[in-house]
Amino acid sequence: MDVLVLCAKTAVACLLIVAGGAKLSDPASFASTVRLFIPFRVAWPLLSAIAVGVSLGSSPPGLASLTLPAITALNAPVFAIACAFAAVSAMGYAFHRGRSCRCFGALSQRKFDASGVLRSAVTAGIAAVALAHTGPAAVQLDATARVLLLAAAGLLALAAFTAARASSTGSEPEPEVVA
Amino acid sequence: MKIPLYLAVAQWMLLFAFGLLLVVVYRQLGRTLRKTDTADPLGPEVGSKAASLEYSRFADDTVQYLTPGDGQPTLLGFVEPTCLSCEKLVLALGTAEQAGELSGLRVLLLTSSPKSYLKVSDAFRATRLECGRILAQATTEAYRATSTPLLVAIDRDGVVRAAAPAIQLAEVRTFSRACLLPPAVGESIPITAAAPQHDNDLEAAAPAAGAD
Repeated sequence: MDVLVLCAKTAVACLLIVAGGAKLSDPASFASTVRLFIPFRVAWPLLSAIAVGVSLGSSPPGLASLTLPAITALNAPVFAIACAFAAVSAMGYAFHRGRSCRCFGALSQRKFDASGVLRSAVTAGIAAVALAHTGPAAVQLDATARVLLLAAAGLLALAAFTAARASSTGSEPEPEVVA
Repeated sequence: MKIPLYLAVAQWMLLFAFGLLLVVVYRQLGRTLRKTDTADPLGPEVGSKAASLEYSRFADDTVQYLTPGDGQPTLLGFVEPTCLSCEKLVLALGTAEQAGELSGLRVLLLTSSPKSYLKVSDAFRATRLECGRILAQATTEAYRATSTPLLVAIDRDGVVRAAAPAIQLAEVRTFSRACLLPPAVGESIPITAAAPQHDNDLEAAAPAAGAD
């Protein structure tokens, strides 16, 4: 059981780190997705700032969850973020079906569709599994292990950023303002 | 020494994540190499339907969505402020616009550079034509804009009528006429998607695109 919970915890943490790093590589594209969920006109710099904020908001909890597994209080915010992703996915499916979600920046060409809702629900489910209690001995890390995990997590974010920058892609464009 | 269970799990997970990202990077490398293959054509195929595109308009920093075929003929220019040939095209377009030769056309200059880069070019800084930054790589792929400048004439039905590198005023006039061709006539325009040209080769390639 411990292995399952720890796998879930690590997987969600990695997901958040990769998603944050990848989104940061192309805030302009992600901002156009953020715009879909803002019902009023917002200046582009502010949209970009929100996009960067959202991108930055997902990586640190993932980073903390990965490197400080003994702090169980981190599980709840991570679960909340996963639920927020699921909610956004559902809203995107309801109101902006078929448009790019850019959930992983340029790393993914996924759109708001039924399978996306299912995927985000599964992610939230995995985050829920990570809420379960594990034996303290399984998560007791010494300082060296924490530093190594932190370095690996930073490297993961950097690798995601670089890979997304290389792809720099975006999917088929689709914001709503018609020129 | 006994490794904590979490550390073992985290190691494998991280290894998996890194492997996945490596695959992504290698896949992109393959795409990049394919895109830079000199056999790739430049510009969308004449007669094909022009793709919708998304850009950030520099004038008011808003995201715009352009749907060719909405009834308005469109002249698209793929340009970069740092490209000297593009400056010439922007100047030619400005001259044509001031002379009223582009009336009835939607003229749009698209670049992959941020707004701040416009400062490096007098022509870009001074132009009154609509400029915007391409937001998705899919746009440059759809229009096969592998080098600049690239001018694309799209008629009111969203059909590409001409696509080629262009610099001179005469070429701009030819392209603007191509935009306004009635669909039923199907008049042949002496401009087709050209073989890929690097920026340095554009001046040699452009005159062939269509003397007025």
